[in-house]
Amino acid sequence: MTISRRTLLKVIGAAGLVTLAPAVRSEAKIGPDSFATLIDLSKCDGCEGKETPLCVSACRTGKKDLFPKVDKDQLLNYWPQKKYEDWSDKQHLIDRFTPYNWLFIQQVEVDGKKISIPRRCMHCDNPPCAKLCPFGVKHKTAEGPVYIDHSLCFGGAKCRAVCPWHVPQRQAGVGIYTLWQKYLPVAGGGVMYKCDLCRDLLAEGKTPYCMVSCPQKAMTIGRREDILNQAAQLKEDRHGHLYGMDENGGTSTIYFSPIAFDKIDKALSTNHNPKEKSKPVPLHNAENILEKQNLWTQLSLVAPIIGVAAALGLTRGETAETEDK
Amino acid sequence: MATRIRHSLTVRITHWVVALSGILLLFSGFGQLPLYKRYNLIKVPGFAWSSNYEITLVIHYLTAAVFTAAVCFHLVYHYRRCEFSILPRRGDIGNSIKGFKAMFGLGEEPYHEKFQAKQRVIYTIIGTTSLLLIVTGLIKSYKNLGAIVLDPIFLQWVAITHTVTGGIFMMLFLAHVAALLLKNHRPMIPSMITGRIDRGYAEKHHPGW
Ligand code: HEM
Ligand code: HEM
Ligand code: SF4
Ligand code: SF4
Ligand code: SF4
Repeated sequence: MTISRRTLLKVIGAAGLVTLAPAVRSEAKIGPDSFATLIDLSKCDGCEGKETPLCVSACRTGKKDLFPKVDKDQLLNYWPQKKYEDWSDKQHLIDRFTPYNWLFIQQVEVDGKKISIPRRCMHCDNPPCAKLCPFGVKHKTAEGPVYIDHSLCFGGAKCRAVCPWHVPQRQAGVGIYTLWQKYLPVAGGGVMYKCDLCRDLLAEGKTPYCMVSCPQKAMTIGRREDILNQAAQLKEDRHGHLYGMDENGGTSTIYFSPIAFDKIDKALSTNHNPKEKSKPVPLHNAENILEKQNLWTQLSLVAPIIGVAAALGLTRGETAETEDK
Repeated sequence: MATRIRHSLTVRITHWVVALSGILLLFSGFGQLPLYKRYNLIKVPGFAWSSNYEITLVIHYLTAAVFTAAVCFHLVYHYRRCEFSILPRRGDIGNSIKGFKAMFGLGEEPYHEKFQAKQRVIYTIIGTTSLLLIVTGLIKSYKNLGAIVLDPIFLQWVAITHTVTGGIFMMLFLAHVAALLLKNHRPMIPSMITGRIDRGYAEKHHPGW
């Protein structure tokens, strides 16, 4: 051996540290200066009497440049399946998530009281939708927003499957896969769309369209730390409930309600018209798929150390001349 | 039939641990792409679970741990024993082109020691691909640990590299198995099972060994 044992141990120690360090820092939290929203359900009245809730129409007008512009020739089946997802004829829908409607008002009656719930992406702290994107084109930013790069998204819809609320929605016939799908109808199904928290407005120091347009001032955006304090205060003062603090591993969208969320969630699923194809977007105790598998993730991270240690153990006192048969 | 030892038990175990975990990584890794539902694998009896990302991701983590440990073991083990005969040398590229031609009956096989030039080149390609997969895979695992925000563009390149090298790994795997099934390579297969290889074959293809 030309390399001394000590140098080797040092190298291996360093390699071990590199793999262990992440495990130690895994408690890293989203910064206190990132953005968070508080949505006060005791204030929102669903814009009673208006044809379209003001926040919904503000989002639809404000974001319309980002909505899909479909080339009808490109609306082809997802070979070998005989279907494709096209919402371009249903752009008028305002009561669910579509590629053309990133915010909607859910309404439900609980204990004789009508509750209106603005629903959009929660901008989760550990978003499985972004972290599991095979091309990494869904981005979680340090400022808080989770957004999709529409020019690179393949529209595989994996993000919709791993999001507990199935927020992102797919439009066929747009995006990068239109470059090849006519010649080779594989890999790609369109582009996914959802709320981006108006990150361009936030960057300019402005407030998202939906929030400024609300006559009830039901939605507030601000520094995460301040919003979390505000939410905690509301909960204490009014003996209410919060949603979004721990759901899906924590989010940057906190709902306040005087009525417990499990009650609302139950009402949502029981009042649901079974003839409707899509299920209601729940307010359940959402589990985070990544958090659930933390142990296996850690195992893969310490694997290099196990391999190196085994090799060092087996070669102890051995040189090139001693061969094991 | 006269034979001689080609691969020690440790080497054989390492190879099969890498191969088995590699195959499962390929299956579970491709399961991380939205493929199995669209391309009807879920309709094959016994594979209904294959489009469930939760299940395939656990398999991917577990087999990634085995694969990573085995590759690290392999590197340190042979480094400590100063066994470098499989690393590429000068002239290997030219000689492996000759070697490939010889595979199809064109020209003479170049003179070889334990590993042929083309084997050394292929080893380097498989090894580099594996290391890239491990490094990008470890970064991917790390960011899944919790509310960890890394630069999204960095993560985009990590993801694209992992996905693309995953595809390359698939092709290399298929080529590796296909090459061994070729008639004049088949005598190599026992060497990875019993460790022994036919002496006549070794003298013909690895005269300098
Ligand atoms: C993911 C799976 C696999 C990986 C990463 C892998 C990798 C390797 C590497 C790097 C080598 C040494 C380089 C070379 O000789 O070209 C090798 C040799 C070998 N592999 Fe694999 N392998 C895999 C699967 C398999 C399978 C399925 C078989 C069975 C047909 C197989 C049979 C062999 C044999 C017989 C050798 C010995 C060649 C010799 O003696 O020179 N491998 N493998
Ligand atoms: C033979 C080796 C491997 C192959 C063929 C492979 C293939 C793939 C493929 C095709 C994907 C889906 C695309 C993507 O998300 O980028 C994937 C995802 C993933 N791979 Fe691998 N992989 C291998 C090794 C590893 C290793 C060694 C690790 C970790 C140590 C790893 C960790 C991951 C993780 C965590 C994901 C899920 C997506 C994410 O969380 O970003 N892979 N793999
Ligand atoms: S709510 Fe869904 S789409 Fe939005 S960040 Fe969370 S997981 Fe992603
Ligand atoms: S934050 Fe912006 S994109 Fe999101 S719902 Fe409000 S207006 Fe629409
Ligand atoms: S959040 Fe405000 S704008 Fe939106 S529906 Fe409720 S009251 Fe109307």
